[in-house]
Amino acid sequence: MAQITFKISESPDVVIHANKGDRLLDIARDANVAIDAPCSGNATCGKCKVKLVSGAVDSPKTQHITEEEYAAGWRLACVSKVLDEDLVIEVPDIASAYKSRMKVADLSSPEEVAIFEKIKSDIEGSGIALTNDMAMVELTMDAPSLDDTMPDNERLTWAIEAAVGAEKVVLPFTVVKKLPDVLREGNFSVKAIYKMAGSRCFVYDIYPAGENPRIVGLAIDIGTTTVSSVLIDMQTGEILAKGSAGNGQIRYGADVINRIVEQTKPGGVKKLQKAIIDDTLNPMIANMCRSIGIKPVQIYRMSLASNSTMNHLFMGVNADPLRMEPYIPTFFHLKNIYAKDLNLIVNPNADIIFAPNIGSYVGGDITAGTLASGIWNSEEFSVFIDLGTNGEIVFGNSDFLMSCACSAGPAFEGGDISCGMRATDGAIEAVTIDKETMEPTLSIIGDEGQQPIGLCGSGIIDIIAELFRCGIVNAKGQLVREGRRVKVDEDGMKSYIIAFKEDTGAVKDVEITEVDIDSFIRAKGAIYSGIITLVESLGFDMSIVDNVYVAGGIGSGINMKNAVRIGMLPDIPLEKYHYIGNSSLAGSYAMLLSNEAEDKVTELASSMTYLELSTHPGYMDSFVAACFIPHTDADLFPSVQNMED
Amino acid sequence: MPFNGKSGKFKAAIKEVEIGCGEKAIKLGGENVLPFYTFDGEIANAPKVGVMISDKGLQDEVEGVAAYYAGCETIADIAKKAAEMPGADFVALSLESADPNGDDASVESCCETVKAVVEAIDAPLAIIGTGNDEKDNELLVKAAEVAEGKNVLIMSAKEGTYKSVAMSGIQAYHHKVAAESAVDINLAKQLNVLISQLGIPVEDTVMHTGTATAGYGYEYVASTLDRIKAAALAQNDNMLQVPIVTPVASETYGVKETLSSEADAPEWGSRDARAINMEVVTAAADLASGSNAVILKHPASVATIKKMIDELM
Repeated sequence: MAQITFKISESPDVVIHANKGDRLLDIARDANVAIDAPCSGNATCGKCKVKLVSGAVDSPKTQHITEEEYAAGWRLACVSKVLDEDLVIEVPDIASAYKSRMKVADLSSPEEVAIFEKIKSDIEGSGIALTNDMAMVELTMDAPSLDDTMPDNERLTWAIEAAVGAEKVVLPFTVVKKLPDVLREGNFSVKAIYKMAGSRCFVYDIYPAGENPRIVGLAIDIGTTTVSSVLIDMQTGEILAKGSAGNGQIRYGADVINRIVEQTKPGGVKKLQKAIIDDTLNPMIANMCRSIGIKPVQIYRMSLASNSTMNHLFMGVNADPLRMEPYIPTFFHLKNIYAKDLNLIVNPNADIIFAPNIGSYVGGDITAGTLASGIWNSEEFSVFIDLGTNGEIVFGNSDFLMSCACSAGPAFEGGDISCGMRATDGAIEAVTIDKETMEPTLSIIGDEGQQPIGLCGSGIIDIIAELFRCGIVNAKGQLVREGRRVKVDEDGMKSYIIAFKEDTGAVKDVEITEVDIDSFIRAKGAIYSGIITLVESLGFDMSIVDNVYVAGGIGSGINMKNAVRIGMLPDIPLEKYHYIGNSSLAGSYAMLLSNEAEDKVTELASSMTYLELSTHPGYMDSFVAACFIPHTDADLFPSVQNMED
Repeated sequence: MPFNGKSGKFKAAIKEVEIGCGEKAIKLGGENVLPFYTFDGEIANAPKVGVMISDKGLQDEVEGVAAYYAGCETIADIAKKAAEMPGADFVALSLESADPNGDDASVESCCETVKAVVEAIDAPLAIIGTGNDEKDNELLVKAAEVAEGKNVLIMSAKEGTYKSVAMSGIQAYHHKVAAESAVDINLAKQLNVLISQLGIPVEDTVMHTGTATAGYGYEYVASTLDRIKAAALAQNDNMLQVPIVTPVASETYGVKETLSSEADAPEWGSRDARAINMEVVTAAADLASGSNAVILKHPASVATIKKMIDELM
């Protein structure tokens, strides 16, 4: 039995006991110490580096750790096994950063708020009333007496029936429990929060008439990488609080497949559900409630938009069939699910509204996003792209909608890239390179003086576009110029150094290797060929497309011109591209606030046709053709040939 | 109503590439119709047949090949004899001894061989490397230097070697270079784009788009060749308007139908006949699908394919 102490910057130490032979990564997971492990502990990604402060572990030196790093105590947590001695382990900032300081499209900037407001007014403009069936009524009852011995619950029921014209009133346990005190505190004048379903009235809560409660709802978007949410006033639509966090399941793998595999292990379903509900959502909800001075039980309705895997794992439903042929989800559309069915801290009677899935790989985040994008409300042909760990694409107009999903891989979120990281502090989000000197100029997320740690998705797009523009990489992604920033390792692999360790004071250079560029070229090839295949499957070409809406947290820093220049997005006029932020959250918000929006999303989902790319003839060919900068058929990118800066 | 045949002559054409010097020089490509579609238009240059010889000499050769070269003692003798083979248009020297996974012969000794062959024959020559990128980066560059002035065909520039092989072969020593890719129209085109981005005119290149022995997933080869010709001619894709040279023997002599001895597979009959059959069916299919030249080994195969070409032209 050995004692393991995890030292995490700006957090108290975590101490846990472990047996000889236990893996450090598993111990960290058990202790709830977040170590980034996009590959789910297969020693392939090299992201779970930790530093031995004292003690020794049984740990081979892998290709991800240099001689110097190994000597300095760096080890991969996933291949390190505990010996008999006590250990002190330092968990680097990169790993702890993701959970709290994640930069997502969470309405934190005025631009994001403006985008959100525009979506809201567009939805309203499309004729969808932003109203719902929840309401509040003030009731004044006769106080009981020895002549009027009607019990409290009947008294309230009668009063509500009379006030709202209901034939049946349902008072849940939570209301009955507080009923005697609230009635008497308010001198038998109360405010009741309720919803009407036909002639049936369900009462969520009661307050003494002197109080001014709000009907609060919660809209959530659960992404594979990040979770974001807003608390709203259900009567006015006003946003009361907003929150975002890294998805606590990240420590079980970066992509949905790794999560599902982890979930199939004994106790896995519970573990994954706990990671999202107990470790991620509940603390986030508590924080948001605290900021506006309410209790979580005062949240009476919530809506959820997420991909199919995420909503299965959230529900604690076995997601394994999703990844196995013939890829059948347990549900597309869920009704009658209440907060009390899950371990959520919101009001136990709160309805949970789910944005419906339409397939294993096109989920509620896309159906909700489709509503938000507005592409269904115009005769113009539009494409909606959600750039996440999976790239999902919807094409259509008011007459039809087609969708597909392409596995872009985790490259857009920094996975599969040696110095890749999510868009947190220290991530390089934009780059320009001087063609003559090959010297880069960086824009880094974080406070003034923040040193670069790695590259996030938008930074990768920029650097590849710039390397290509400067002739430093060729169309195949090979480094073809020489200079002080181009390094060749002993295996002949080349890389471009973005930031020298001597300049940043870090243990490693920030670089992009030919292998990284190759991974990214595949990711962008998947997106491009997905768009083209979807549009061409109907006999159209891109010239028919009037608008392209690009969504996703990853998209917030995206430079459209560079995305076109590397052939990730089709070469159509840049003004046709619109960045629409977190469309999944916007759609979730609309479904929460508006019964009509909820019905509309269900209608959109049932009318959307899913195209399975993997069995589509020609997709593979189109993909290989797109794995070139910008494309094997240069004629598809006429403007790139003319771009000079 | 009378039948009016419609010509399948295209406005675009495959570029013409010349290999070798003097009278024996050959021209590949130049056509603007589909393979052997002489009824649609004249095919300026009939497909060509090359004879492959190895710098390892005659060891392990099948009966008919060994018999043809009987009495040859040096590589120069073998090369001369190959150049005289009935039906042969050019000689292809394989420097397989340099393969680091085999004999790993030095670049210098291989260059001696190249020199000896270049001096011995006046037929056009193709020089085939090892397929190992690291070795070919040096070997093919040096071989190009030794063969300067002979306008040989260097095989092959691949994704990992195109820069050095194409720059030295074409820019420095004015030879022709084959761009080799793995049976995929997009990969073939991508390599041609990369080479042209070095400032090298595609007119100085041919393509080796890969082949398989017939029966070994060959359908993919046929459709790739078909599609390349269609894109080049019908869609006027100038990055694919390049003649295709297909080394057939290097594939067909590696399959079990050719390798198995008569003792091991008596029911299959004569090994020599099997070697010819595999070579002929593969070469015929390659040519019918769009290859502008094939490289063979067996004198009987060379004669048969040559006859086929002559009769179809």
